[in-house]
Amino acid sequence: MISCTEFIPAYSELFNYLHERGGKEAVVRFWQNLSDAFLTNLRDLAASKGLAGCYEYWSRTLCEEAADFRMVLDEEKGIFTIEMRRCPSKGRLLEIDSITPYPGYCEHCDVLYRRVLEPLGFEYDIDLSQSDHARCLLTVKKKKK
Amino acid sequence: MGEKRTQKILDRNAADNVYLHRDFHGALCNAIRYLDDTFGPQAVTEYLTRLGSTYFAPLSERLATEGLSALAEHIRSVMERENGRFTIDRCEDVLTVTMTECPAIAHLRRTGQLYTERYCETTVVINETICRRAGYTSSCVYEPGQGRCVQIFRKGNKDDFLH
Repeated sequence: MISCTEFIPAYSELFNYLHERGGKEAVVRFWQNLSDAFLTNLRDLAASKGLAGCYEYWSRTLCEEAADFRMVLDEEKGIFTIEMRRCPSKGRLLEIDSITPYPGYCEHCDVLYRRVLEPLGFEYDIDLSQSDHARCLLTVKKKKK
Repeated sequence: MGEKRTQKILDRNAADNVYLHRDFHGALCNAIRYLDDTFGPQAVTEYLTRLGSTYFAPLSERLATEGLSALAEHIRSVMERENGRFTIDRCEDVLTVTMTECPAIAHLRRTGQLYTERYCETTVVINETICRRAGYTSSCVYEPGQGRCVQIFRKGNKDDFLH
């Protein structure tokens, strides 16, 4: 059994494998498939509770991943943000000597979550400009009617 | 009159929580099924062999230099962290791991996540790759979906045990 604590390098190596087989397109196709098949819990929470569902989803997953973050839900302004000060996944990849992290590793967070949230009527944005330092900023907004 | 509070804030440092996100087992299970469905079973073997040769290379090196105790220590550490039910027996040059409740499969079942019978190939192929690189051999007999298996490790190549 691969421990869940060893999943991140396994995930990155999967991206590397898929890229060697079919280029970036093959990696993105996998992300799209995973979003559809696996993120049903986020989809259900966001559909039923809106931004509060996003808060509920990520407050559990990021605590289980021991992330270093600040999450803010402002229902009045219709905005939810995650300021990731140290991403547990990218942070681990940067520390492991025996693998080369997939260069576009952090982009999976763009594809997976955008694909869930935009069809539900949210605006989704993720700033990955600091991802080489395991930092990012995720923003979800209610679309103005 | 105070201003109506509409903000919820959650601020955590890494040290505030234990790193154990069991849903990653589900993501890996989905990945195995995706490879099978999209590229065929050989892709699963190729991917897992790659992972065993890269990420697990340090464990192979420890197995080669320290022997089976390195492998036993690794497996015990993983299973205790994830609350698996298992025994580890060492008899001379043979290490036997008997899994009576795989924590990954237990979590997938408990949470109603996807389970593919090919999931246990992660154990089979990773073990084989770690061992092959260190001059050891492994076997894993499992009943798909039952969360039980017997893994055996010993020194030498597979051919040494055919006669």
